[in-house]
Amino acid sequence: MTLAHKTPLTPLDDAFTPEGGKQLPAPLKSLRDIRSKAITGMALPNRRTENWKYSSRYLKLDPELAPQTQATGDADYRSVEGVYRLVIRNGLVDLESSALPTGDGIDIRRFADLDDVTAQSVARKLDTTLDHGTTQLAALNTARLEDGVLIRLSADTSVDQPVYIQYVTDAGASGSNYPRVMVEAGQGSKMTLVEEYISNGDQPVLVDSVSELLLDDSANITYIRLCMDPANVRHIGATGVKVGANARFDSHCIGFGGDLRRHDLQVRLEGQGGYARLNGIALTQDRQHYDNHTAIDHVVPNCDSDENYRCLAADRSHAIFNGRIHIHPDAQQSHADMNNKNLLLSTNAEIDTKPELEIYADDVTCAHGATVGQLDEGSLFYLTSRGIDRDTAATMLSMAFVHELVGQVPLEDIREAVNTRLTDFIEASFRRAAE
Amino acid sequence: MLTIKNLHASVEGTPILKGINLEIKPGEVHAVMGPNGSGKSTLAQVLVGHEAFEVTEGEILFDGQNLLELEVEERALAGLFLAFQYPVEIPGVSNLQFLRTALNTLRKHHGQDELDAPSFMKLAKEKAKQVDLSPDFLKRGVNEGFSGGEKKRNEIMQMLMMEPRLGILDETDSGLDIDALKTIANGVNTLRADDRSFLVVTHYQRLLNHIVPDVVHVLANGQIIKTGDKQLAMELEEHGYGWLGINEAEAAG
Amino acid sequence: MAESNKPEDFVKHEYEAGFVTDIESDTFEPGLNEDVIKRLSQIKGEPEWMLEWRLEAYRQFQEMTEPNWQKVNFDPVDLQSISYYSAPKKDTDKPQSLDEVDPELLRTYEKLGIPLHEQKALAGVAGAGTPAEAEASSEGGGAYSNVAVDAVFDSVSVVTTFKEKLAEAGVIFCSISEALQEHPELVKKYLGSVVPRGDNYFASLNSAVFSDGSFVYVPKGVKCPMELSTYFRINAENTGQFERTLIIADEGASVSYLEGCTAPQRDENQLHAAVVELVALDDAEIKYSTVQNWYPGDENGNGGIFNFVTKRGMARGRNSKISWTQVETGSAVTWKYPSCVLKGDNSVGEFYSVALTNNYQQADTGTKMIHLGKNTRSTIIAKGISAGHSDQSYRGLVKFQPTAEGARNFTQCDSLLIGDKCGAHTFPYIENKNSSATVEHEATTSKVSDEQMLFCRQRGIDPEQAVSMIVNGFCKEVFKELPMEFAVEAGKLLEVSLEGSVG
Ligand SMILES: Nc1ncnc2c1ncn2[C@@H]1O[C@H](COP(=O)(O)OP(=O)(O)OP(=O)(O)O)[C@@H](O)[C@H]1O
Ligand SMILES: [Mg+2]
Repeated sequence: MTLAHKTPLTPLDDAFTPEGGKQLPAPLKSLRDIRSKAITGMALPNRRTENWKYSSRYLKLDPELAPQTQATGDADYRSVEGVYRLVIRNGLVDLESSALPTGDGIDIRRFADLDDVTAQSVARKLDTTLDHGTTQLAALNTARLEDGVLIRLSADTSVDQPVYIQYVTDAGASGSNYPRVMVEAGQGSKMTLVEEYISNGDQPVLVDSVSELLLDDSANITYIRLCMDPANVRHIGATGVKVGANARFDSHCIGFGGDLRRHDLQVRLEGQGGYARLNGIALTQDRQHYDNHTAIDHVVPNCDSDENYRCLAADRSHAIFNGRIHIHPDAQQSHADMNNKNLLLSTNAEIDTKPELEIYADDVTCAHGATVGQLDEGSLFYLTSRGIDRDTAATMLSMAFVHELVGQVPLEDIREAVNTRLTDFIEASFRRAAE
Repeated sequence: MLTIKNLHASVEGTPILKGINLEIKPGEVHAVMGPNGSGKSTLAQVLVGHEAFEVTEGEILFDGQNLLELEVEERALAGLFLAFQYPVEIPGVSNLQFLRTALNTLRKHHGQDELDAPSFMKLAKEKAKQVDLSPDFLKRGVNEGFSGGEKKRNEIMQMLMMEPRLGILDETDSGLDIDALKTIANGVNTLRADDRSFLVVTHYQRLLNHIVPDVVHVLANGQIIKTGDKQLAMELEEHGYGWLGINEAEAAG
Repeated sequence: MAESNKPEDFVKHEYEAGFVTDIESDTFEPGLNEDVIKRLSQIKGEPEWMLEWRLEAYRQFQEMTEPNWQKVNFDPVDLQSISYYSAPKKDTDKPQSLDEVDPELLRTYEKLGIPLHEQKALAGVAGAGTPAEAEASSEGGGAYSNVAVDAVFDSVSVVTTFKEKLAEAGVIFCSISEALQEHPELVKKYLGSVVPRGDNYFASLNSAVFSDGSFVYVPKGVKCPMELSTYFRINAENTGQFERTLIIADEGASVSYLEGCTAPQRDENQLHAAVVELVALDDAEIKYSTVQNWYPGDENGNGGIFNFVTKRGMARGRNSKISWTQVETGSAVTWKYPSCVLKGDNSVGEFYSVALTNNYQQADTGTKMIHLGKNTRSTIIAKGISAGHSDQSYRGLVKFQPTAEGARNFTQCDSLLIGDKCGAHTFPYIENKNSSATVEHEATTSKVSDEQMLFCRQRGIDPEQAVSMIVNGFCKEVFKELPMEFAVEAGKLLEVSLEGSVG
């Protein structure tokens, strides 16, 4: 507040706004240019910027991160059975490694391959799902667009297998990439979309990703986001969603910490009878960071939302949750429930949480709860009294803390993979703490 | 005392009551029975003036006065009391405070002095005892965290305090154990008087063993389809509504 | 039947304390500069260090800009159009007894129902509570037969009652101007120790220009024998009120203090920028209650007080306790966050708040609990009621520093909305840097339900009374923290604030 003038502003380095996007169809190229111009020299968020209050210190956009990443090795494509696969490598669509659906009703296309009319319509819809005031760095994604993917479901299409997007970042040399996905789900359509972020190499890289999902009336999208990058990947991601009448959006965002991890999930309930469920898990260790920002806007009456986020922070790490529920004027009969629970696994870890309600209608039920605490001593004692060693007991209890949410992930394969990762992670952190 | 003529009422455009005729004389106890969804609670709520229901036709006279012209609270002051089927909770407002406000408003209405604190407390404790509620309940918020049975007892306790001209009991017996049923019936019976009447909505003949009705009505699909004496209730108990030729599914619809 | 029987139709605010008192006063020309501060200090006959302190605050203030992070909208305050000193004209010496006080002034306080005559005060207002309630909580029993009052009118303290009785117990209760004369060492030691001069924009302004306020010192081991209370009233036009309150409870001491505020009805906004500092040493306890009823502006949002205050308590000693209770119904724009810095091990901080906004009022209020010591505990119960076109935010910070081993916080924020044109918001910040510290936060939003209204009305209670009863019930948890007679006052205040005519 009053010290504002004493905090120097850091401008975005010019290296981040180079020429490019030559492959893009004209309407998208011109959108790119507009954004690029707009963000030139933009002040980076600092600790006085409300939505970066706890995270700006991790936001270091050194010029060495500016170049577009190049392929530096063989990507480790974890094979997943029973899915349609789309690989986006270093922000560019890799059709050869992908296995796309061929049937009617679903159309997956690179931005570069769009016809003029479609490109125009995409350009109109791009950047419309996110609040620009709070997702300043999503603009950088648009400004750095080289390609992107449009996934379109025609009315009443039910995609028979999940669409699995693997985002691969080659971190053999430092740089950055800007993947972009746009989903248009037609009336009554149905799909499970998985986004998994992985990386190889150990150099500092930046991933600035944006996904936008437009759900027409009665559409039903399950969205699973797995942020599995190693710590050297700095990830700023945004997911913007618009939910139409009687449509349903379920999301499961699971992520592990890193040098910088930020995910903004913004959902607008724009048609009556809409529903959104937002589940999330974030784990941090060492000196890692993870910052989940969610916003649910109840724009019209009669929509429901349920939100449940859990964070575990070990070692000297730092986890942040900021959840906002905004009930607009006249959005009567809204029901919104937000719950955020956090576990500090070590004395030196920090968790900051801010569950916000902004309410402009009276006939609504909104509640939020947040806790920050530690493993329950009583339960630990009970387990150890049955002969289980303390580390194992602590791991069991920590897993129990996230179990309910993992259990709600609809795909068995993913549930198992996540469970293994979680267990390894938690076990390791207790082992380290014991040493 | 109460005369209902051709009463039609609907909620959000859906007709629920479709021509009710009913006459309750001073001192009488009328029982209303009928399948779920037949409109019993609706009738009770329309009588006390619930605003969700729109009276589309007919009239209600209470002591010769047009009830439909009165506000909810005016009807209460005129002597109508409804023991709700689902009593609402009012957190933080103690039963005492609530009752005292209600009772003194009523007394003022009748030109009586307000009760002073000690006499009020004495009365409240006495009435609570009558329905087997411990005086501790008086300090708690209105129905706040009360069990189903406690809420019902609290309703009767309020009725005992306010001594209405017409007591309407909407399924006060459901959710009560046998002893509580007797307690409540006793409570009602102590109020019975030549100038006081009751309209008792119930599903079970059991209650009517304790509160003996003068008249029994069967309500189905928004109309009174049969009227008789207490014998009718017993026969219903034995044969079910099918005996009256009511298709339950249809009646509820 | 009436057209509508919605709860919001029964909510209309009539401000009862809006009269102006016509008395002669000495008032500075509007404007703010070093000379004004020097004159102010000179009139008060302050020691040199005090003037230096003020000037340094003013220097820091000039470096600052008005904060804008609160969720409120108003035209910027023009500090140059405000007069920084206004005092009822009187002999240069302070009146020695009530007989010497301007009768007009006494009448003002009488109108407000504040007993300045000790006789009257002694008679007390006990028994003003609803007797049934008193009976119900028979352990209660109105034991308060007396309250010591310090009355602040515009910029100066006009009278303090019961001074002798307090002096017997060793309690110092006087205006801060007087304390600067009589107990400069105490003032010097503690002033600014909790809210430093450069803390924030309005606190710095206050440090530079504060005109008066209350001072309390309770010595070691003393339990203050009576409630202490200050009534603030802004009367003069175009003045700001910048009072400064400093309360110190020495080791093992305890004190309960209450402030009340009113102002006349005027079309222009008036600024109130107070600073309150509390210091509790080992085993000491300070309970600070506020019933704030500054003029909120009219139905269309014209006029009213801007209430920008900094209140902070330092639980400095082991096992010390600071408790804030506030009932806020007034002011056009409010932002205040009475806070506790829990420095001593095992120290306790509490915040109980009811804020009611109506018409076009805006309030951004809440608390901060800063846990530094081991096993420190804090509780926050905040109840917000929004009606009309008003907008209300709860903003709170609960922070556990790495040193706060085993610390705990529990927070409960409930909002009640009356009508569909108002807003209720919750912005809680929770920062935990200690893995053995636990925080639990809950928030809910509700409205006065149609079923509750029907239930009350079916029992013959008129709708206006029903709304007020339900709202009072909603606030119960906070009211029970107030000293009894003030709880009654607070309940009535809510009732008045909600009063209106039937739709
Ligand atoms: N507010 C409302 N909105 C829509 N329908 C309603 C409403 N209130 C009542 N109804 C409908 O009106 C019909 C009559 O309801 P009512 O509560 O009067 O039945 P009842 O005879 O008391 O049943 P029960 O024996 O189960 O208590 C039901 O079909 C019910 O669903
Ligand atoms: Mg019923």
